[in-house]
Amino acid sequence: MCCCLAGTAQEQQGITFSGSIQSDMLIPQDDEDTGATKERDFLTNTYADLLLQSKHVDAGLRFEYMEHPLPGFEKDFAGWGVPNFWIKGRLGKKVELTAGTFYEQFGSGFVLRTYEERSMGIDNSLLGARIVLKPVEGVTLKALSGKQRCYWSWNKALISGADAEVSLDDFFSFLQNYHTHLIVGASWVNKYDDSDEKAYVTPSYRVNFPQFVNAWDVRASLNHGPWSLLAEYAQKGPDPAFLNGYNFRKGSAAMLSGSYSKKGLSVLLQVKRSENMSFKSTYDISKAVGTSSTINYLPPFTQDQTYELATLYPYATQVASGEWAYQAELGYNFKSKTPLGGKYGMLVKVNFSHIHGINRQFYDSTDDVFAMTDGYSSLFFKWGDGTYFQNLDITVTRKLSKDFKLNLMYMNQHYNMTVVEGGGGMVHSNIFIADGKYQISRKTTIRGELQYLATKDDLKDWIYGMLELSLVPHWMITVADLYNIGDTHIHYYQGLVTCNFGQHRIQAGYVRTKVGYSCAGGVCRWIPATKGFTISYNYNF
Amino acid sequence: MLISCDHIERENRLIYEKPATAKRVVLLEDFTGQRCVNCPKGTEVIEQLIAEYGDTAVVAVGIHGGPLGFSGNDTTTGLATEVGDEYYQHWNLEYQPVGLVNRHHPVNYPEWAAAVKEELGKPAPINLQVSAVINNSIIYIHVDALGTEGLTNGMLQIWILEDGIRAMQMMPDGSSNPDYIHHHVFRKAVNGTWGEETTIKEGEKYSWEFSQAADPEWNTSKLSIVAFVYNDNGVQQVSKTKIIQ
Repeated sequence: MCCCLAGTAQEQQGITFSGSIQSDMLIPQDDEDTGATKERDFLTNTYADLLLQSKHVDAGLRFEYMEHPLPGFEKDFAGWGVPNFWIKGRLGKKVELTAGTFYEQFGSGFVLRTYEERSMGIDNSLLGARIVLKPVEGVTLKALSGKQRCYWSWNKALISGADAEVSLDDFFSFLQNYHTHLIVGASWVNKYDDSDEKAYVTPSYRVNFPQFVNAWDVRASLNHGPWSLLAEYAQKGPDPAFLNGYNFRKGSAAMLSGSYSKKGLSVLLQVKRSENMSFKSTYDISKAVGTSSTINYLPPFTQDQTYELATLYPYATQVASGEWAYQAELGYNFKSKTPLGGKYGMLVKVNFSHIHGINRQFYDSTDDVFAMTDGYSSLFFKWGDGTYFQNLDITVTRKLSKDFKLNLMYMNQHYNMTVVEGGGGMVHSNIFIADGKYQISRKTTIRGELQYLATKDDLKDWIYGMLELSLVPHWMITVADLYNIGDTHIHYYQGLVTCNFGQHRIQAGYVRTKVGYSCAGGVCRWIPATKGFTISYNYNF
Repeated sequence: MLISCDHIERENRLIYEKPATAKRVVLLEDFTGQRCVNCPKGTEVIEQLIAEYGDTAVVAVGIHGGPLGFSGNDTTTGLATEVGDEYYQHWNLEYQPVGLVNRHHPVNYPEWAAAVKEELGKPAPINLQVSAVINNSIIYIHVDALGTEGLTNGMLQIWILEDGIRAMQMMPDGSSNPDYIHHHVFRKAVNGTWGEETTIKEGEKYSWEFSQAADPEWNTSKLSIVAFVYNDNGVQQVSKTKIIQ
């Protein structure tokens, strides 16, 4: 729905009013087999976004109701109110000023990224002001200052920063002549925190937290035809915190990413080294150990998976301790009417990622308590203690007939449960996935998944099956079961009905889910087992 | 400012604080678990605090339970108890290790030293003295109290602790140590999970007697008794004693 109070929305002469509602609800039940507990009769995470737009000024707010939230979120997550509210003014195309809460990212996010990820309970928006200037074509300047949201309050630390990005091809014609785009950027972020947190390394010595912590980032992005190259380096000043054992060592992150993409072929090669880059807007341990109050972001070098068994052992980026991360991906589309491509063509993708610990030699502080503040020494190129995660997956997507499409995946995974979850050793697994989609009629499609995870570690083997019937444009019916063959012999089932009517979408069903990690973008949260009736409602207007 | 803050000299990284002069005894409840990899770090802090102030000024109790507690199985000794779980739930705790210092609010282990120091400097409204002997596997406990300041309404709680238990513990590097030695492990609440009501007036003396059969699994030579009085304002006084054989 677009409510035009004056003028028309298309020309942005008047005011447009839009918004959305998202409500996820659970009526929980106790379940002795899985350990799921019912603490209340009804749980919900509900969001309502409202947005007013006009030619020169936009304004928005978000109402959130999580007084009794879905299971697995931190205790401070519970609450309700209007934590996000903002107004944005524009002067032509050159100046944009925001006051209130806002999200921002500098470069890849090494020194600043504020964002919302509802499934993870993350909203680390800043409350303050931001100005974006585009004084000439190809130049973008940003400056901001604000306090970071930590659930239902704002942390005391003041976060300020500036970012400059220049498209050099707008200034040098020879780059344009060679169809080459070169963007260089630099960022700086400062945390000012004069809170009186007291952390002791011995009963007689407490940490002298610095009032100011600076971080900076430089980057260059080159694009020429099918070739792309991104190089980025960031450094953070001494920032002793619970998560890094109160060391005063500088943090750093370096990334090199190259890709080639042409019709039918894509190649991606990436490498990243990071250490001691946990950057939080509070020294309060109870806030800092969770997913809140994070100023920066390190992009994961692992493939985002959607299949149930491929997400059973998800990797969480080791921001504080650091990691070497490598990723390579090759995609090739065998053309149709070729021996391998068959009648409809075939897409093959191979992805490999490897995450390794960095070299760290910790200083002995037995006789010198100050030695522990140095933390450790580290040789840049040397690997440390063991593999944190490794993944090789091969996906083949092929249309076998006009009505039937098949997706096959094989995955070999090494998951260091000790590093990610604190114990459990290395889990080696092989995962086999078949995903078939059959078009019964113009409006009816059935899709099925069969997955098997084989491992001698942790809870041993798992099997998963799913059937999904789509009756477009309104209905979808899904039944699925995840079963542990190895140790527990517990079924985790779900039956869901989804209907779409106009801008409304409702999903209702009955689910039993397992305890485990849920991850998005390399950030993970622990979710307890659940069982009960679930309803999800979405409305856009 | 920006450049100068990017290097902090070693001597400026830590602040020395003179240890407190103990005016009372402080109770530190360490909510811990054998499957908790960071819990040995909390134990290290307790050892440092006891080395600094002595175990007559800082009474630490390791309460095993919660999600990372381990109740044991046929092959491995577990130290978690139902009462430990109940305490964990009651105090609305979210992770381990975490402590209660004189039962004010949850405190993370790097902050225990500050909380203990603050509590040591507070005067207590009562004097408390506990003694215990064991005879034919029955533990006889005697508690004396003297009101020294105003009127104290609260609960008197008696606990049994055990030192030197060899049992599995997950370690900070993720490994499992089957021979970890656990000290001051909470074993039993003698007079109920939450103790019994008591009123102590200034200038008056009080005495209580308790008895408790020793569990055959306990090493009676390593047992001690903790007695404390607490109310909504926290723990008012604590006393600890070894059991005389």
